[in-house]
Amino acid sequence: MQRRHFLALTGAAFALPALPLHAATSPSDTLLTWYKLVLELVRHTATYSPPVAARAFGYLGLATYEALASGTGATSLAGQINGLTALPARPDGVYDDSLVLHAVMSETAQTFFGNTGPTGQRAMAAMRDKLGAKLHEGVAEDVAARSAAFGLSVAQHIEAYSKNDGGADVENMGFPRDWPPPTGPEYWMPTSTIVQQQAPLLPAWGENRPFAMPVGAPCTAGDPPIYSEEPGSEFYKQAMEVYDTSKALTDEQKAIARFWSDDPMLSPTPPGHWISITLQILHRDGTDALRAADALARVGMAVNDGFIACWVDKFHFNRIRPLTYIRRVIDKTWEALLITPPFPEYPSGHSTQSGAAAVVLTAVFGENFAFDDATHADDGIKPRHFADFNAAAAEAAMSRLYGGIHFRAANENGLRQGAEVGSFINALKTLV
Amino acid sequence: MKILAPILALLPLAAHSETASQPPPAPLVPSFTEATATSGVNQIYAGDWEYMVGGGVSTFDCNADARLDLIIAGGTNPAKLFVNNSAPGGDLAFVETQSGLEQTAVLGAYPIDIDSDTIPDIVLLRQGENEVMRGLGNCKFERANEAWGFDGGKAWSAAFAATWEKGQSWPTLAVGNYIDATQDMFPWGSCTDNWLHRPDGLKFAAPTPLKPSFCALSMLFSDWNRSGTPSLRIANDREYYKGGQEQLWHIDPGKEPTLYTDKEGWKRLRIWGMGIASYDLNFDGFPEYFVTSMADNKLQTLAEIPTDGAAKPTFKDVAFPKHAIAQRPYTGDDLNPSTGWHAQFEDVNNDGLADLFIAKGNVDAMPDFALKDPNNLLLQRTDGTFEEAGDRAGVAAMGLSRGAALADFNADGLVDLVVVNRREPAQIWRNTTKSASHWLDLTLTQTAPNTDAIGAWVEVKMPDHIQRREITVGGGQAGGNLGPVHFGLGTLAQAEVRVIWPDGTQGAWEMVKADASYRLEKP
Repeated sequence: MQRRHFLALTGAAFALPALPLHAATSPSDTLLTWYKLVLELVRHTATYSPPVAARAFGYLGLATYEALASGTGATSLAGQINGLTALPARPDGVYDDSLVLHAVMSETAQTFFGNTGPTGQRAMAAMRDKLGAKLHEGVAEDVAARSAAFGLSVAQHIEAYSKNDGGADVENMGFPRDWPPPTGPEYWMPTSTIVQQQAPLLPAWGENRPFAMPVGAPCTAGDPPIYSEEPGSEFYKQAMEVYDTSKALTDEQKAIARFWSDDPMLSPTPPGHWISITLQILHRDGTDALRAADALARVGMAVNDGFIACWVDKFHFNRIRPLTYIRRVIDKTWEALLITPPFPEYPSGHSTQSGAAAVVLTAVFGENFAFDDATHADDGIKPRHFADFNAAAAEAAMSRLYGGIHFRAANENGLRQGAEVGSFINALKTLV
Repeated sequence: MKILAPILALLPLAAHSETASQPPPAPLVPSFTEATATSGVNQIYAGDWEYMVGGGVSTFDCNADARLDLIIAGGTNPAKLFVNNSAPGGDLAFVETQSGLEQTAVLGAYPIDIDSDTIPDIVLLRQGENEVMRGLGNCKFERANEAWGFDGGKAWSAAFAATWEKGQSWPTLAVGNYIDATQDMFPWGSCTDNWLHRPDGLKFAAPTPLKPSFCALSMLFSDWNRSGTPSLRIANDREYYKGGQEQLWHIDPGKEPTLYTDKEGWKRLRIWGMGIASYDLNFDGFPEYFVTSMADNKLQTLAEIPTDGAAKPTFKDVAFPKHAIAQRPYTGDDLNPSTGWHAQFEDVNNDGLADLFIAKGNVDAMPDFALKDPNNLLLQRTDGTFEEAGDRAGVAAMGLSRGAALADFNADGLVDLVVVNRREPAQIWRNTTKSASHWLDLTLTQTAPNTDAIGAWVEVKMPDHIQRREITVGGGQAGGNLGPVHFGLGTLAQAEVRVIWPDGTQGAWEMVKADASYRLEKP
């Protein structure tokens, strides 16, 4: 059943301050309003490093897509993605899709962000109660009850599916309590003085079950340049490129580095940045809820699988960061523009997942799809315009060199790795 | 400098001679004995989400008996004043006393003699309207917002600092405000403005908003570069700001406040800033700053000490090499990251090296952070590093601690400890160390205005360096100390002391005997 009343959105960009509650009455508004909260929860939940965030986006998207697909004849992803069994069918009767989505998001948000702090808990409860009450207005009791029950059943199915993927339990914010470092000049070393970060983040994340990428056969970025401290070597050249670039950064390059910095706990993280881009487009274009859920599910699964593939390579190659190499070989006083992430360098996680997201979004929205990205407007960072998704992904990859946290090979090979990951997502059948 | 007669002079402790001749290679671990049940201190910082921060305690002498009394915030419970009846060298004994400060919705309280009548006044930080409470003497207070032109506003006030700007007869107060509590679904990014209450003659002018504000949880006026003009350091909670960072403000007399910028050398730092403590740990004349956070605390020192010219506000974090990071519980079976609140440097074993106490406690029930999070007592070693001794010293309490204060409550030359816990009774410990070294307690006083000489520096000459303390109002977690500053002297039975007064006047070095409290009066 379609809702009888569709209240107009404010027209504000999605990244701008909260949409008023009255806006969230259509299914698509309900979906987008919940996702806006999810982006905040990602930012404000301590375990939500980029790989963990990507995983949540994958399952949230999957749950909302499946909940809507069951009522429209769209193709379920059960049987297409790794390990997902058939979802509950909709019992006969009339449904309110806004209330279905509200039930799905209320449940899955609590599942994936149950460990957030008191403010996040308060926000989830307020969203559940206030938005739920608003959505309930004018809807028959039996329809409301049936919709809520069905949404809950789908959410619980997805929750059960998520439990054994290898990423459900994250302790100590993802940092092992003990980490015997391998010996050798090419290997990653801690770059931070934070005690937790003396061990790398989530070393076993590459063992997680992906959604669409084949289990046990992750896409690879290929070999990095051979480690060398010889001035004529490729590795040295790439390090010098990072160093020289850092010494002559233009304001535009600094802006690019900071725009894609996407630091955990200070932003929605890199996967959240791509979800934010998707949300802004969905909001701008008034996309219907099913197509919106499909796009969000695809992007979510793509960034999740991208991080899994990337993390396999990161801990296979276990490569040194520019900060360590440059201080050791070139300039012991060197400082990178950005905070160096606490895990191995190759390939670049942002690049891999950006490559995956760009390929998927291009398939969803088309080639040459221009957009403005105001993800960080609330943080005072100006929106940027992109001619298409690949241009955005390429800029995201290059930003890591400007920021001094990755060598060129990690960015370029990461993008290619991500594109390969995205092709598995693009092969999934949904709206047909 | 006029040194008045000792307030209290005690005989050296019995074991002193044994420790003085052969200082231990490792810090002497002090012994604290909890006295909560018998002390008369009975307060619970209560309340739900709106009181997840705060819970401050302050020490000051409200009845001019040279003993430090306590004001403890209660959240949804009324604030309480506890008058100190401890006998010198005796058990800790306080009496809850009706004072006029029994307000609810109080997150913290800071004592300061606003009107320079030598009677401490109190600033109450509240969920709602802040209040300035004029001290009437004998531990009685009355609201003075209207009389002093103080606009208490309506906000979630969680931080405070004060200074006397040059040429002023009335203090400048800084109030740090937190989240807009009305925003339930999207509270992030809703930080409300901090306020600077500057003087207008002998009252306050309308407050100046300090824009931008980033959800302050601690503020401190401190002369970080020894320029003679304190700046305002603010610890901000990154959980709620957007586009924010830690802050350092120029507060120059007669000028609008401006932020220190990256062009001046300020380096962006984004943490869950919660509490600030300062001390010149490395005896270079410039204070270090310890800033509490979650899973990571910062010990900041100037990156470069110029041989000439002004220091740049560029700080480096030395918490890790100094072993002062205190990022997770050191005892118990909960190994999740810690949550730090109040921090304070005091020499708890009188070895002449400042030690560091950190109050710890989960925000509420965040499972990714330690739920059993012991308070820290980090003892400074002779090489400038720290070692944890909270459990050995007997202060490794596991409550949801917030505010705290270290001060000598029973005039025995040993710094005691009081800690405020969320939803649980406050706790108090007597320092019962048997083999402490020599000490001094020094109280500064000058004629009005600024009778407590806020902004002065007190120096004590040691054999190979000078101990220095800045007299401040602010910092910590919603509370602080107004009264004597404590110095451990190690083996010194006497020491030279001097004061650099707030106006820059440099007193002469004068020798005083150890193990006594002195009042130092500006000539």
